[in-house]
Amino acid sequence: MFLEQLSGNLFQGLILGAVYGMATMGLSLIFGVLRVVNVGHGAFMMVGAYCSLWAFHGLGVAPILALPLAMLVGMGLGLIFYYTVIRRLIKAPELATLLATFAFGVILEETIKLIATSESRGFNWDIGKIDFGFTILPYTKLIAFAGSVLIALLLYWWFNKTRAGMAMRCVVEDDQGARVCGINVEWEYALSFSLGLGLTVASGVLLTMFIPVGIQPYMGGGYTLKAFVIAVLGGLTSPYGAFFGGLVFGLLENGSYSLFAQIPGLEPFAMTRFFSFVMLLVILLFRPTGLLRAR
Amino acid sequence: MGAARKYAPLLPVLGLYAALFAIGLLVPGKWQLIAQLVFYCALGQAFNLFMGMTGYVDFGYVAFMGVGAYGMAVTVSSLSDKGLGMGVIGIGLILSVVFAILLSLAVGAVALRLRGAYFAIATIGVNEGFRYLIEGARIWNGSEGIIFSSQLRELIGREAAMSLSTFWADVMVFGVAGIATVLTIVYMRGKIGYALAALRMDEDAAKVMGINVTRFKIIAFITSAALAGLLGATAWAVKLTYVYPADVFGIHYTVEAIIIVLLGGAGTLLGPIVGGLIYGVSKYYLAVYLPGFQLLVFAPVIIAVIVLFPEGTVGMIKKNLLGTALEKYIL
Amino acid sequence: MSLLRVENVTKRFGGLVAVDNVTAEIAHGEMMAIVGPNGAGKTTLFNLINGVFFPDEGKIWFEDVDVTRYPAYRRAHLGIGRTFQISRPFGSATVQENIAIGAMFGAAGGEIDVDQAMDMADHYIGLIGLSSHRDKLAGGLTPIEKKMMEIARALAMKPRLLLMDEAMAGMNPKDIDKMVDFIKRIREEEGIAIVALVEHIMRAVAGLAERVLVMHQGAKLVDEPTKAALSDPRVIEVYLGVPPGEADA
Repeated sequence: MFLEQLSGNLFQGLILGAVYGMATMGLSLIFGVLRVVNVGHGAFMMVGAYCSLWAFHGLGVAPILALPLAMLVGMGLGLIFYYTVIRRLIKAPELATLLATFAFGVILEETIKLIATSESRGFNWDIGKIDFGFTILPYTKLIAFAGSVLIALLLYWWFNKTRAGMAMRCVVEDDQGARVCGINVEWEYALSFSLGLGLTVASGVLLTMFIPVGIQPYMGGGYTLKAFVIAVLGGLTSPYGAFFGGLVFGLLENGSYSLFAQIPGLEPFAMTRFFSFVMLLVILLFRPTGLLRAR
Repeated sequence: MGAARKYAPLLPVLGLYAALFAIGLLVPGKWQLIAQLVFYCALGQAFNLFMGMTGYVDFGYVAFMGVGAYGMAVTVSSLSDKGLGMGVIGIGLILSVVFAILLSLAVGAVALRLRGAYFAIATIGVNEGFRYLIEGARIWNGSEGIIFSSQLRELIGREAAMSLSTFWADVMVFGVAGIATVLTIVYMRGKIGYALAALRMDEDAAKVMGINVTRFKIIAFITSAALAGLLGATAWAVKLTYVYPADVFGIHYTVEAIIIVLLGGAGTLLGPIVGGLIYGVSKYYLAVYLPGFQLLVFAPVIIAVIVLFPEGTVGMIKKNLLGTALEKYIL
Repeated sequence: MSLLRVENVTKRFGGLVAVDNVTAEIAHGEMMAIVGPNGAGKTTLFNLINGVFFPDEGKIWFEDVDVTRYPAYRRAHLGIGRTFQISRPFGSATVQENIAIGAMFGAAGGEIDVDQAMDMADHYIGLIGLSSHRDKLAGGLTPIEKKMMEIARALAMKPRLLLMDEAMAGMNPKDIDKMVDFIKRIREEEGIAIVALVEHIMRAVAGLAERVLVMHQGAKLVDEPTKAALSDPRVIEVYLGVPPGEADA
């Protein structure tokens, strides 16, 4: 009985992990290219969640269709934030960009709160489920999983097969060299930042496929921490590492939940969140370059 | 440098606090505001001791305040029936410092080995993580928290408990601010101040100059944490007589600390105090005229400060006073 | 007992071998130059001696103490000082404070207090002729002044071995001569060994250095008294790309 429940949990964890991983790709991209840590990560995911909410309640369409919109919103925010703030802080100490991205997150949270109030919202998009025997998976979650994998593949294609993507990789390797090759490094920075944020906001939509409730302005906080654990797992600079890190994290998170649920006197939900924090410290202590050696 | 010159900057600070105290006592109805302002000054000074002086941001800072509050709460609720009277409060303060130091050692053991961004990432979950540990493992009553108002009354009597929570707790916050001030100037004028400044400006060059950067970072980290613990014990635990994990580990206190130190001037003595006053007063009036807008106003302010004047208010004043007679009072 | 002994030291960065099995020795008070083209591994060797990073193979001895795994600050306490190719002053601190920091933490194993350090700083400021700039912020100095200040800061650490990385890069001949005299003076007065790093043998270093170590692609090419090194065919080949005699062909 426990085994069946555990394997069901782990399967669900893997599915969710793909979404987590995709959500973290933006974070790793921004750090890899610009060496900027987006401390406001969760807030951007929250924006995506609201896009999804609006698509369902406001437009009456399947929330997944909000994905391209969310991507655009994220990219737009990215360009704005890059050109007004980040660009001026490239030479500043790390502290500066940390605080700036943190402030972006706060601005997003407070703005959304003004527009939508801090009331917790949600939606119910039920299109049936698929029964695997040991566990049941709603189609919505399957769509989210497929979406995440698709986006990860698209990103891979973009980085390796398109000129624009390869230019971005050059900048990561050696920005001086890239300049000499005629690449407009400035523009690549702006593009990376906006692409990274676009991915992050888009991931908020996918997240709501899993958790279509509890959408409120401050929902992002917990996801920021998870994203950092995943990013560090995957090596912090590599978007692919982030994706696989997400899968690992999803497994660990759900697995630990099952475990904690077995121990009396413990609150499994809270303990799982504590556990992810411990994971972060442990990885940073022993393998700060990541458990997975991705490119 | 003569002792007079060295410690001259204490004068404006102590004068300021004395003035605030006087205003609070003499002007009717203003004590709460003054207490709030001094809380922000103390918070800024405590936070500045690490962030301002080393340049490292500890996003989980509020965790030290939280455990400090718990230290006091746990002490009062368990020792109230031992007939020790006010001494229990003293024990509570000591325990709050001990808790804060222990937590800072645990976090520091991992985080302080890391540089810049990695350090920030490591600390980002400390407050949440600790809160979830308390709730998850049902430590100290878990999510129900500790309410010790009745134990306090039992300990020192109704009257004393009342005046403790409504007045003397705030006076203790003044005390914490005073301690923070003294520690800051002692550090800044001593070798540790130079070591921290050097490692903030260029950590690798500092190492080559013979500075054991890890040791100095740890000292600053622990000191800053201990002060946070005292602040949590006094401004939260003693004042409110209850502690809930959801309240005392909220990240917005760290946000406020960051705003205060940045606005006022990181790494200076006066900076956090000036920042605390500006922030406290602004927040108060914003709450009156534009309730709910505080963070929305302050977040762009943080960005503006980082981009336009990263050295903060006092930093700017210092630059302009360089070479004048007033220079020696601004540290 | 030699002052510094570097034994079979190797350092790799990924696939690149930056320092390849180098062995060298410096005696107390000796003046040595390390030369070699760009990428020869000179700065990496300095970083290894200094403690900025640790070698993958080999050992480093300072006065018979095995310092191979000592962090940089401990080596500073033992008496290794260093200047950087691109100056790294503590920009928001004054000239006096910069130099005092060197004295406070580097000299006498780090036992000097703030006031003593400030006095020592004044002495060294006088030595480099920047007394008028004592209370100026280091960030506002000219590049030459920054270089001089860095040297004074390193000297204030009372080192027994001073590693000078491209101390004369970008200087005009007049300034080079002044620097050479200055180095001669400090060597005599302070009795320290100096290892200077230069990209190519200049007449200045030739006049100063007793011995020259030539590096090429991470490995030690020659290690001999200056006069011999200057006319060594291997050295000439490294710089001109062709063996001597064929240069005019």
